Amino acid sequence: MNQPCNSMEPRVMDDDMLKLAVGDQGPQEEAGQLAKQEGILFKDVLSLQLDFRNILRIDNLWQFENLRKLQLDNNIIEKIEGLENLAHLVWLDLSFNNIETIEGLDTLVNLEDLSLFNNRISKIDSLDALVKLQVLSLGNNRIDNMLNIIYLRRFKCLRTLSLSRNPISEAEDYKMFICAYLPDLMYLDYRRIDDHTKKLAEAKHQYSIDELKHQENLMQAQLEDEQAQREELEKHKTAFVEHLNGSFLFDSMYAEDSEGNNLSYLPGVGELLETYKDKFVIICVNIFEYGLKQQEKRKTELDTFSECVREAIQENQEQGKRKIAKFEEKHLSSLSAIREELELPNIEKMILECSADISELFDALMTLEMQLVEQLEETINMFERNIVDMVGLFIENVQSLMAQCRDLENHHHEKLLEISISTLEKIVEGDLDEDLPNDLRALFVDKDTIVNAVGASHDIHLLKIDNREDELVTRINSWCTRLIDRIHKDEIMRNRKRVKEINQYIDHMQSELDNLECGDILD
Amino acid sequence: MEVLREKVEEEEEAEREEAAEWAEWARMEKMMRPVEVRKEEITLKQETLRDLEKKLSEIQITVSAELPAFTKDTIDISKLPISYKTNTPKEEHLLQVADNFSRQYSHLCPDRVPLFLHPLNECEVPKFVSTTLRPTLMPYPELYNWDSCAQFVSDFLTMVPLPDPLKPTIKKEEKVLPKKYTIKPPRDLCSRFEQEQEVKKQQEIRAQEKKRLREEEERLMEAEKAKPDALHGLRVHSWVLVLSGKREVPENFFIDPFTGHSYSTQDEHFLGIESLWNHKNYWINMQDCWNCCKDLIFDLGDPVRWEYMLLGTDKSQLSLTEEDDSGINDEDDVENLGKEDEDKSFDMPHSWVEQIEISPEAFETRCPNGKKVIQYKRAKLEKWAPYLNSNGLVSRLTTYEDLQCTNILEIKEWYQNREDMLELKHINKTTDLKTDYFKPGHPQALRVHSYKSMQPEMDRVIEFYETARVDGLMKREETPRTMTEYYQGRPDFLSYRHASFGPRVKKLTLSSAESNPRPIVKITERFFRNPAKPAEEDVAERVFLVAEERIQLRYHCREDHITASKREFLRRTEVDSKGNKIIMTPDMCISFEVEPMEHTKKLLYQYEAMMHLKREEKLSRHQVWESELEVLEILKLREEEEAAHTLTISIYDTKRNEKSKEYREAMERMMHEEHLRQVETQLDYLAPFLAQLPPGEKLTCWQAVRLKDECLSDFKQRLINKANLIQARFEKETQELQKKQQWYQENQVTLTPEDEDLYLSYCSQAMFRIRILEQRLNRHKELAPLKYLALEEKLYKDPRLGELQKIFA
Repeated sequence: MNQPCNSMEPRVMDDDMLKLAVGDQGPQEEAGQLAKQEGILFKDVLSLQLDFRNILRIDNLWQFENLRKLQLDNNIIEKIEGLENLAHLVWLDLSFNNIETIEGLDTLVNLEDLSLFNNRISKIDSLDALVKLQVLSLGNNRIDNMLNIIYLRRFKCLRTLSLSRNPISEAEDYKMFICAYLPDLMYLDYRRIDDHTKKLAEAKHQYSIDELKHQENLMQAQLEDEQAQREELEKHKTAFVEHLNGSFLFDSMYAEDSEGNNLSYLPGVGELLETYKDKFVIICVNIFEYGLKQQEKRKTELDTFSECVREAIQENQEQGKRKIAKFEEKHLSSLSAIREELELPNIEKMILECSADISELFDALMTLEMQLVEQLEETINMFERNIVDMVGLFIENVQSLMAQCRDLENHHHEKLLEISISTLEKIVEGDLDEDLPNDLRALFVDKDTIVNAVGASHDIHLLKIDNREDELVTRINSWCTRLIDRIHKDEIMRNRKRVKEINQYIDHMQSELDNLECGDILD
Repeated sequence: MEVLREKVEEEEEAEREEAAEWAEWARMEKMMRPVEVRKEEITLKQETLRDLEKKLSEIQITVSAELPAFTKDTIDISKLPISYKTNTPKEEHLLQVADNFSRQYSHLCPDRVPLFLHPLNECEVPKFVSTTLRPTLMPYPELYNWDSCAQFVSDFLTMVPLPDPLKPTIKKEEKVLPKKYTIKPPRDLCSRFEQEQEVKKQQEIRAQEKKRLREEEERLMEAEKAKPDALHGLRVHSWVLVLSGKREVPENFFIDPFTGHSYSTQDEHFLGIESLWNHKNYWINMQDCWNCCKDLIFDLGDPVRWEYMLLGTDKSQLSLTEEDDSGINDEDDVENLGKEDEDKSFDMPHSWVEQIEISPEAFETRCPNGKKVIQYKRAKLEKWAPYLNSNGLVSRLTTYEDLQCTNILEIKEWYQNREDMLELKHINKTTDLKTDYFKPGHPQALRVHSYKSMQPEMDRVIEFYETARVDGLMKREETPRTMTEYYQGRPDFLSYRHASFGPRVKKLTLSSAESNPRPIVKITERFFRNPAKPAEEDVAERVFLVAEERIQLRYHCREDHITASKREFLRRTEVDSKGNKIIMTPDMCISFEVEPMEHTKKLLYQYEAMMHLKREEKLSRHQVWESELEVLEILKLREEEEAAHTLTISIYDTKRNEKSKEYREAMERMMHEEHLRQVETQLDYLAPFLAQLPPGEKLTCWQAVRLKDECLSDFKQRLINKANLIQARFEKETQELQKKQQWYQENQVTLTPEDEDLYLSYCSQAMFRIRILEQRLNRHKELAPLKYLALEEKLYKDPRLGELQKIFA
């Protein structure tokens, strides 16, 4: 296709080529001289043009991190690759190449304008990441299926599309179809779509579009539902009581307990199990609600804490800023006084005064910071105490509720044992009326077997309850420690940053003064 | 007095309309009168009345008169209705009752002032006070409530002092609960002892200062204090009492008619009440007024406290207290009550005064002649009706330094309906500072303009309605050497621009400020934080030191930092040792960065930043220059506006608005013409023919046919005549034109250009006339048959030619 260069050798995108291009396209005139003097870093380049260079393979572009506009048109590129690092790219031109499939664009989330004109593409896809796409040029390709248009519906910002000279553009319905399915489109094949055409197209394809819309809405709703559910679960997880608002725990107790399931067929056990389950679920729900409430409490506690800390820091910063502003005012005037002073001894005296001022400012700022550190430390410790207490209380209460669960389980176990033994006696005496499933009947061999079976079921249940409790306790404890650690670490970071900032500022001031000194002495 | 009463009528009526409470006229007299005066009292009685009448006549005006007049001479008694000049028998009867009442009263209470019962009216006829009140409802909503109504009355009244005054007639503060983790305040390391000492010292100084001030104040007060009133308790006054109960009036209060202010009945200024009246009855106060009016009980139904003159004309406030046993009965037979009363008592006759009428003009004018001056202690308030002054001045408050009102402190002038939206002009005489306040809508969006002189480049502050301006300018302050502007809501986040100027360079040519702007020494610009940019790239302040070729930048402070980045550019163009121009060297840009970044260290970056700033500097200088120009423009405009002071007139004000007046008149004229045309079309076309026949006889069939034919042929002839006439005129014009053309052909060579022009214009006019005539003729030809047919149709339908219908039916 793009054949004027076919006679030439394919070229490699090497360092020389890139440097040359960058140099040519960089700043001009005076700025250009400066640029040459200093050299241009690839990562500072915003726009790069590499057309008519017979490039076969895109390569060596990883350094251009901040590139906004890249032109690779009129080459012999066959595959889109090597663009992963150019995340800021807004404008990409790959027209007049030999590309067959769209690929390798998944990281270019900022792309707004994409041109793939005159290539060998037959299917539009793999563009999902390009949420900001506004202009898409796919003319002179091999797209032959109208359904590709429906894929383009997901780009909410798409306003300009060119698809001319594709097999599909031959279809007589081509324009109407696109107008109907992409109602937000403004320009098609370099022409503005007028409202009249839009209306006509809409009327023509109304039925199928409505259906499509309905499906899309359904999908959307489903997605939203799932999202909401996930969020709900996430919320429960942060309260450490997920899956406790129902019979989930109870069901899981019986999930791996074959003996228990078998035993439930015993006469009278059914009802027993029913009441047991009800009571158990009530306790679980109690735990769940208590957990949510506690979570809410912890959250407000944390919020108040962080708000107060933020306010304190803000206040402190304001004070610091005021001090600096005051200092700068004075400093500026004294600097200009020094510049105008002619007598050397006077200058020296004034410079001394100035540096005294600087060190005074340093002291003041550091005092402020130390004050804040002390205040914050106290507050943080208080918060730590409170949150640890809160967590402890929560654990205690959950444990007592869990103990209730265990009691219920024990009670149930006793009852079950009673029934089992009485059933065994009946079987032994042979006056059992009902039929029992074979698995169950196999248990009633002798007393030990049945007692063991019931005991095993009981053990499994207790284990499940213990596990759930342990999980809750470990998770909340680790949350608590992590939180406290983070708060401490943040505070330390903040302090270091501030101290560094103050030092930097003071150093700058001092060096400025020193420079002045040198200059004066030189004069 | 007359006026007073009549005005109050409106008020009463307005209130009565909603089953109003009782507004009473109260007459106050001194209650703590010395005993010696008592003896002369009776002899004084006649004199008092006469004086009172005299006084009354002094301030009487007729409401019907066009302009309120003050002297008796201007009242045209002859035009007043008969009720003003005579008394009806009922009124005579009432007067007798009143006299009787008065006699009994003076007998019973010989040491009290005689009653004010029936003064003479403007026609020298005695009238009972209650009959001078006539409740009237006025069409102005402002008169519907007591406060605005009282204000209106007080505006209308003018106080004329008598020659002898003795012979007349919060918010609760919310406490913020401390939050749980609020940090503790830092430790206080200052010496408390020192502080205390300091505080003590300060207090001492303050106490001394206070003492000194107080002494001074006292001294001033002493000087100002009015001499004790020798006539305290002897003055007499009339005012309005509004009783509670109706129209959501929660408690009784007084209204002073001269000021329109309301006073509590507890007010110390009112020393006592002699008698009360409304349009139904007259009451004498029988309560002791030793403690001013504070202890008075305004229960007019209580005959022990209030002696009534006419029995039972109203039960009024007779409260349902425990003594009042018949109270329950009263409620049961309210309807019967009226009938019973009629038998027993004498009804108050109907008021003799005419219904008050206030024209919209008079209402707008408010004060007599539309002007009123009120003198206060150290202040004078003048009021004018709107549109009375050609510059829109409606009121002026002058405050004085001294009691004699000679040294003016400040003047405030309020304006209305000004086209330049000027609202208030404030002149401070001590500082000579003038401040103009504008309403929204000035062409330059002015809000406030304060200045000492209208010369440019002097001290002045101009505030603007920033939302009305494209550039969001809020305020511009000028001093001889600086100009400061404050902005709000700009897309480039500029908030402040300060320019300082150097002394003007003298040029040889004579030039005004416009062509020779002062050199700018320094421009400081400040910006709001632009949330779209990171703080270290968002400039907070930039200073262009134009003279030093230095540019200073200060960036915004990041949220968690206390220091801000700074950058300083020195843009000197220098030449290096080889003679090459140095484009950029590291020492041309001194920067301090809070978080050092790599790319800003590059010379290229700095160079570009500097170039950008250079362009910005040019722009800023241009802006400053434009601002100066704008000030000049504003000053010019203000001067023009002051000179022209045009007033706006609402388009709904058809009396004043010329345009709408014209429009209205045009409409009326058109209506009139339309009417005339209609009359014309109704001309009787048969009349001339019918006149030939003997009147009163019914037309025979033959006569009807002949009449019709005659009428039609006549009409036909008229149409033909008209066509001929047009034809003749057409031909005449054409001939004339041809002649002229011929003449032109012959004399073409000898013609002067003027003649030629004349000829050409004649030609075009003649052609126009010919064309019009042609058109008319064609139109006439087209319409004539139609008109003819229409007439025929009409004649067939004419009832007078009923015979015709029979023939053709």
